[in-house]
Amino acid sequence: MAEQSIAGAPRVMAAEGDRSARARAVIALLCLALTLSVFLSLTSGASDASAVRVIRDWFTGAVPADAALAARDQLIVYDIRMPRVLLGALIGAALAVCGAVMQGLFRNPLADPGLIGVSAGSSLGAVAIIVLDATWLAPVTLAFGTLALPLAAFFGGLAVTLLLYAIATRQGRTSVATMLLAGIAISALAMALTGVLIFMADDRQLRDLTFWQLGSLAGATWPKIGTVGPVIILAIAAMPFLSRGLNALALGEATAGHLGIPVQRLKYTAIVGVSAAVGASVAVSGGIGFIGIVVPHVLRLAIGPDNRYLLPASALLGASLLLIADAVARTIVAPAELPIGIVTAVAGAPFFLWILLRKRGVIDL
Amino acid sequence: MIEARDISVAIGGKRIVAHVDFTARPGEVSAIVGPNGSGKTTLLKALTGELPYTGTVTLNGCDLSAMKPIEAASLRAVLPQATALSFPFTVREIVRLGLIGGRSGVLPGEDTRLPERALARVDLDGFGARFYQELSGGEQQRVQLARVLCQVWAPVLEGRPRYLFLDEPVSSLDVKHQLIIMNIARDFAWRGGGVVAILHDLNLTAMYADRIFVLSGGQLAAAGAPVDVLNDELIEKVFGCRLKVGALPEGSMPFVLPQSAA
Repeated sequence: MAEQSIAGAPRVMAAEGDRSARARAVIALLCLALTLSVFLSLTSGASDASAVRVIRDWFTGAVPADAALAARDQLIVYDIRMPRVLLGALIGAALAVCGAVMQGLFRNPLADPGLIGVSAGSSLGAVAIIVLDATWLAPVTLAFGTLALPLAAFFGGLAVTLLLYAIATRQGRTSVATMLLAGIAISALAMALTGVLIFMADDRQLRDLTFWQLGSLAGATWPKIGTVGPVIILAIAAMPFLSRGLNALALGEATAGHLGIPVQRLKYTAIVGVSAAVGASVAVSGGIGFIGIVVPHVLRLAIGPDNRYLLPASALLGASLLLIADAVARTIVAPAELPIGIVTAVAGAPFFLWILLRKRGVIDL
Repeated sequence: MIEARDISVAIGGKRIVAHVDFTARPGEVSAIVGPNGSGKTTLLKALTGELPYTGTVTLNGCDLSAMKPIEAASLRAVLPQATALSFPFTVREIVRLGLIGGRSGVLPGEDTRLPERALARVDLDGFGARFYQELSGGEQQRVQLARVLCQVWAPVLEGRPRYLFLDEPVSSLDVKHQLIIMNIARDFAWRGGGVVAILHDLNLTAMYADRIFVLSGGQLAAAGAPVDVLNDELIEKVFGCRLKVGALPEGSMPFVLPQSAA
């Protein structure tokens, strides 16, 4: 494959087959892309509030001419758009990084966090709250208020993952293959239970849970970020420490061990980190598909599978894409709002197909 | 020195290796031979800590089972029979993985060029940018050997010998590369390291091994220098075919031995 020269890449003569210079250039571009996406999300929306003016006034200390309008704009930018942008960036980054980690762990480019049961468990938790909030689970909703749903989704996902981990671990060794197969069984069971709940639901609840399943960032508030933000940030921050181990794992578990990687600890950290980050994401935003598979895939074609670059690049691209998708979701049918899952799928699927068709040769390897 | 005492390995309730004693000295190439299914690879996996075993294995006097992966990785590198990849890594990226433990033994800064040197060593100069999955089986095996060499580039580090474990390193190679790879193994031993290799070619074994361990049905059938071990009776007993050691074919039948290499 011919090396493509990228403007701004270091001029040092790189060794043949060393794609790290290109990867660093791509990461620099992605930083720029994320900055632009944040700007785009802050400035676009159903209202004509000007984020630029609010931020400029804040910096310069200028007193706005129309105080009432300025107060409204400030409210929209600080309390509605900013938490939404922050949450979108966190969730986009989490979903993409978790996808990349799962693919490295399962040594399969088709793996996604759903494989370890976290999505099915989260859905079950969330749907249980939506359907049973006035009956069996009334004490829970009473105790936690609006946080009951994200909490139920988070712990539902974590519980299923830990159950799978226990099933797949024998004599201190976790079998990734067993985990995958048991995951299919347990996920089917969780989905059946979810189905029972859906069957019991009334019309209003059906509408609520359909929208929840399609995913949305509309519920973003500062308290919610305070709840799930630390979980996601911690999990993402742990991922770079996995990158060398995941690279070695590409050669198989035994060889990774011979190279000096503590394989069991790597597996445990990856599984718990992913289930925490995805559980937290699904809890506040519902099911946002596609990011976890597409982002690492596209990046692997651009910079190669080296996780030292793939993981940070996935975080940046995942965050940017979700912000852009959310900006589209908020504006395209304004003042109404499209579920973001629809946007990511409608825009992502054809793009992904196009990439696949262009790069068939490399993918078949 | 690698010393293994009374090694037994059971897989799924079936005993594959039974009560084997094994010693590999630095400065020597130790070959493990035997028919298919005689437990060669299983023994090697016990010696590298990949499979649970009973008995004791020590590396340079330290108990293997008490070592952390990173400590064991600084003392020995392991070449598996074959390695399949799930992602499109380039050849250089694969070879570089050998440097993960950071104990190649070259001067700091020389590490960055080590993948190229290792590739040249296994006769794959200029293959760095190729995709691993595009290569033939024999080329892939040599890429993996280059990775393994990067991990323990210096056969002796801080006064302690290091070891290469090679599971059928030449089985998928043409005769030229069989000789190149076996010469790398012998050179590693000459410079103070130890080599443990599973081999099928008895001629190459006789030519390169200092000691041979013959496995049969999971047990040690014989051990010693090639000249003491390779005889008609042993080959008939272990391999079940009547071959004459050192006999030439009759008449004008051509034969090619690696020993004749100039």
